[in-house]
Amino acid sequence: MKILIADDSRVMRQIVIRTLRQAGHGGHDIVEAENGRQALEMVQSEAPDLVLSDWNMPEMNGIDCLSALRASGSQVAFGFVTSEGSEEMRERAASAGAAFLIAKPFTPEAFDDALRSVI
Amino acid sequence: MPVHLPQPKQLRDLLADLLGRDVTLTPSAPFAPGPDTPASVALYVDDSLRISALIACDLAFSAYAGAALGLIPVGDATAAVGDGKVTDAISENLYEVLNIAASTFNVAGADHLRLHALHPAGPPLDPQVRISTLTLGRREDLAVDIAGYGAGLLSVVLL
Repeated sequence: MKILIADDSRVMRQIVIRTLRQAGHGGHDIVEAENGRQALEMVQSEAPDLVLSDWNMPEMNGIDCLSALRASGSQVAFGFVTSEGSEEMRERAASAGAAFLIAKPFTPEAFDDALRSVI
Repeated sequence: MPVHLPQPKQLRDLLADLLGRDVTLTPSAPFAPGPDTPASVALYVDDSLRISALIACDLAFSAYAGAALGLIPVGDATAAVGDGKVTDAISENLYEVLNIAASTFNVAGADHLRLHALHPAGPPLDPQVRISTLTLGRREDLAVDIAGYGAGLLSVVLL
């Protein structure tokens, strides 16, 4: 499957890719975006099967990106990988249509659990 | 709502999980950077954009934590300490460490904080920011040893 990783931190995108591999999900086609606006455009141009997105990003944050995707009719699987792990944020994520929220710092097990729910 | 002062165990667990290394914390004297002390300062804002907390780190912690996150060789971190400033790559990684550290403030019933800005160790600190690091009261002052890299100082200060 094709996975779009949206995070403004280059090192965090690398860590997410490494953790995917450690979680046994290494064979996927990975594309990267630096913010929510770029992610929104790349969902159209790249047609990923899953978006893994940070919450706080410049240009457009993750929750606005998700809302814009759903408003445009996209039903792409979408999960947050974020330092925002509070119950309130989890509820906001779920009500906006996110499949899961993985809190940073994360473990390969957390990735595997989350990805098995959408793959 | 009050701002939550992160507990040492929260910080230890966060750093150990994030860096994938053993991390040892010990109480330390407050880190009080002088005008010429290289120091990194991360400023955290609440949902009204009020600066409510900061994390100040000495050059050693800045270099070692930033390097450890991105698997940058320890020699590069030691060289940065010798140079008196962190490199752009280390600074970028340190930003992410201190961005994720915002989660230690965000417990149930406390103000929600997020990282607003990072002043990386090296360039002179804005005097107002430096003076804010000297705030007494609700703060946590720790020596942090990152296995395989080295030890430095980290202070969490509520404003």
